[in-house]
Amino acid sequence: MTILCRRAVLAAALWCVPVAAQAAETRAKADVNCQALPTRLQYDCTLRLANARTDEPLSGATVRVGADMPSMPMAHNVRPVQATAEPEAGTYRARLTLEMHGDWALRIDVTGPVRDRIVKLMRFEPGRAEPSPRSR
Amino acid sequence: MDDYVVGVLSNIGVLAFLGLSAYLLLLTGEISFGQQAFFAIGAYAAGIATAIWGWPLAAGLLFGAAAGAAAALVVGVPTLRLHGLYFAIATLAFAEMVRLLFELLRYQVMIDGELVGPNGADGFRDIRYVFQNNIEPQQFLLVIYALLVAVLLGFALLERTRLGVSFRMIGVDYVLAQMHGVAVARHKLIAAGLAGALAGLGGGLYAHLTTYVEPRLFDVMLGVHSLAYGLIGGLGTALGPLLGVLIDIGLLESIRAFAGYRMIIFGGLVALLLIVRPRGLLDEILVHRIGGAWRRWWRRRAAKEAA
Amino acid sequence: MIDFVQNTIDGVMIGSSYALLALGFTVIFGVMRRLNLSYGPSIMLGAYFGTLLHIQFGAGPLAVAAATVLGAAIVGIYVERLCFAPMAAGAGIASMVSSFAIWMQLEQAAVLLLPRHTYAFPPLTDGAALTVGPFLLRADQLVVLSCVLVLTAAVHVGLYRSRFGLALRAIIDQPMAAHLVGVNVNRATLCAFAGASALGGIAGYLVLAVDQQVTPMFGMWATLKGLVAMMIGGLGSIPGAVIGGLLLGLIEAHSQWYLGPQARDLVVYAVLFGFLVLRPGGLLGAAPAGAMPVAQPRP
Repeated sequence: MTILCRRAVLAAALWCVPVAAQAAETRAKADVNCQALPTRLQYDCTLRLANARTDEPLSGATVRVGADMPSMPMAHNVRPVQATAEPEAGTYRARLTLEMHGDWALRIDVTGPVRDRIVKLMRFEPGRAEPSPRSR
Repeated sequence: MDDYVVGVLSNIGVLAFLGLSAYLLLLTGEISFGQQAFFAIGAYAAGIATAIWGWPLAAGLLFGAAAGAAAALVVGVPTLRLHGLYFAIATLAFAEMVRLLFELLRYQVMIDGELVGPNGADGFRDIRYVFQNNIEPQQFLLVIYALLVAVLLGFALLERTRLGVSFRMIGVDYVLAQMHGVAVARHKLIAAGLAGALAGLGGGLYAHLTTYVEPRLFDVMLGVHSLAYGLIGGLGTALGPLLGVLIDIGLLESIRAFAGYRMIIFGGLVALLLIVRPRGLLDEILVHRIGGAWRRWWRRRAAKEAA
Repeated sequence: MIDFVQNTIDGVMIGSSYALLALGFTVIFGVMRRLNLSYGPSIMLGAYFGTLLHIQFGAGPLAVAAATVLGAAIVGIYVERLCFAPMAAGAGIASMVSSFAIWMQLEQAAVLLLPRHTYAFPPLTDGAALTVGPFLLRADQLVVLSCVLVLTAAVHVGLYRSRFGLALRAIIDQPMAAHLVGVNVNRATLCAFAGASALGGIAGYLVLAVDQQVTPMFGMWATLKGLVAMMIGGLGSIPGAVIGGLLLGLIEAHSQWYLGPQARDLVVYAVLFGFLVLRPGGLLGAAPAGAMPVAQPRP
């Protein structure tokens, strides 16, 4: 095999091997509470993020919230909005404008001290929002 | 690159696989409403491989593609004798069966103190390979498009080989193709397997992109969408489905200003487009003309240089 | 034993609604030889009109029914003009995908009309139940069954005893020949479409009145049920559509009882798949002669 070929094979093999486990992988967990706003299809969501293992609130993270309808992926999705940090540690707020009432999967992307994505299923109706009856 | 743009481009890339899968079957003249089933199978298979069995991404994606191909052959064999609408509805029935089976599938393993795995109708969450291995969204985008480019090159090659020509012959008139000595049944199975593998690969990428899949995602809507991509973009070339996905998602994103009316505008535009171009934008006639013009230009240039 | 008979009765009751859905679907398919994926959604939009009337003006069941049927017919005409009329004979797939695009359009229109996820639909009767021996029969389901019988007879009479029906049957057979003998194919097709959508509107109204609620998912549900019933009974066959619908109802009722609601849909699709693989013509249709039921050249 030529040198180039050997290098290519080595690179491919390295890519295939899972990266050695780094320090204990931190996961985030989120508590989502959404209130309906007077304007139609707008909701104000408060997220409480914490370290999944230690329960310590996650502050200083960049949080983006997006939403997608499980029954029609990518057809009705919502452009991700940046969540603003609240004075209380680990609490963030985001305003969501949805296209339709019904079941939505909220996608919370966290970057910063912890990098993670949390998916929360919620049901949005006029005037109220609650965790989807089917979600954990 | 803005995270949002990366997200949209990733979606386009992943859905292009689904569109190409339906397109391959359309080449052989068969309408399939069921490619979303192989998409689902690929998603779950790749997700299980990386999240539960701890396989690397490449192996997981390969497993997803293989699972998709295998399932496609399982449904391809009994439906060999079916054509047209009967075949289409059979694939729809199969896809719905797959979706319902996923609603019943429960395979959860305790990993690191948490239950990981498909949980019936609640879906399969925490397919976190991308996060566990610190792959940036831009890097994953590169992976998606590298694979997509490879597939498109494969299609370009296919159009030049005997296999590709046989596919198109079967698509135009399978009886005539059979009389010309083309083994129709075998070719249809090959096409079905390849299409299943494509959809499976796309599904695996999708699962890792969104980290959460549930059976509801893979319903009839997605299946008809996969067909629509090819029809909108054009059936003359493999770039057609990609164009279709681009138009679909691109249009949807750009008319966000019309928040509540997006679908109405989009649906109307697609219907009008299909009236004017029933075989899509890049249909066979247009591709043929472009190819001809290109060849003439090339020949003229070569003649000029020779002179 | 009692369970079996009760399930059979329930199956026939719901199956009659499916039969009606399949009937409308078959008329459209028979005439156009193309699949109309907007069939269910046009019924749903009609139902939403009816619901709107009920909510805003407190309209009674008859007004709601009329609104549903009229709404479905009007939307059906819209779909025909946009997705099917302008397409050339060979563009079957294009029509189907076009009707799918309009499906999404109609669903959004419905949601714009009435944004909530579920709405109460006015019931037919007060929900009184009759008991015949050990079996339970609901009054509104009986109304549905009788409506279905009447409508099936009406469709049969319309197709086989009227000039319009004769024209339709000619078009179903050979559109070009029908044109040559003086049938206005486009107009007859439009009327058939409107009629089939109206039929679907009645079916939709009956189903929703028994169910007493309507959601945006009703469109896809109705299309799928009509499609499955039509394929089981035999593509393009009117009696087949009715029998297919009844059979579908029976299969659903029994599998739900013995296997639970999740397995019910699984069984239905497995049966459909089995039919298509083993007997594509369905129960009463002719076995397909190899080629796709293509749209014949139209004038």
